[in-house]
Amino acid sequence: MPIFGTLGVSGSGLHLHRKWLDAVADNLANVNTVRPTSGEAFRQRMVVAQAENYGQAGGVRVAGAAFGNPEGRLAHEPHHPLADAEGYVRRPDIDMADQMTELMMAQRGYQANLAVVDRARDAYLQALTLGK
Amino acid sequence: MAISPLGMPFGVGAGFEVTPLTPAGQGVDAGGTGGADFAAALGDAVSGLEATQDRADAVAASAATGDLTDVADYMIAATEASLATELTVAVRNKAVEAFNDVMRMPL
Repeated sequence: MPIFGTLGVSGSGLHLHRKWLDAVADNLANVNTVRPTSGEAFRQRMVVAQAENYGQAGGVRVAGAAFGNPEGRLAHEPHHPLADAEGYVRRPDIDMADQMTELMMAQRGYQANLAVVDRARDAYLQALTLGK
Repeated sequence: MAISPLGMPFGVGAGFEVTPLTPAGQGVDAGGTGGADFAAALGDAVSGLEATQDRADAVAASAATGDLTDVADYMIAATEASLATELTVAVRNKAVEAFNDVMRMPL
């Protein structure tokens, strides 16, 4: 509904930040996913955001996902069942500090968009009481 | 006495451009075309009420059956539906008030 356009814009922002949270959760859940050297390591998932209706109604959408380093980190673990002949396995190239920072950013972004929805709703309700 | 314009804060610099969204000079017309635009906007809002309610009901149903992927989706649809209902009620109240004012006029 265009008369309450702010809610739609913030809704798209909430959707994006939730997808970002999902990506960070996926990366952190797979931080210890070991793969053999014959394949590629678990690749970190990053969400690509793109502005929608730029200059007009506004909003944001998930344009796609970018994936991290396929080579990962080679770790020498000869007793691991997936180790190759020299005893190496591939661990994901995910920096936990980086992911925790992204987690904070995604959470604060989500909260910021929630605040916009709240304030916009209050503003619209006050406008409806004009002239009482 | 010429007042120099304020500098951009925080060193934004000269690269900051202002792109007008509507061409200058069109602005808001008091009465006339302004009245038609407002009436059109109100009419849109009231006629969109049913569509908004339907969408909110559909999202609520999917939330109840567990199909909903985004909690915020439902809350925003519900907020829009309640705002649209409040708008319709306010329009009705104003219309009734105006009608009563006219009926009270002594003849």
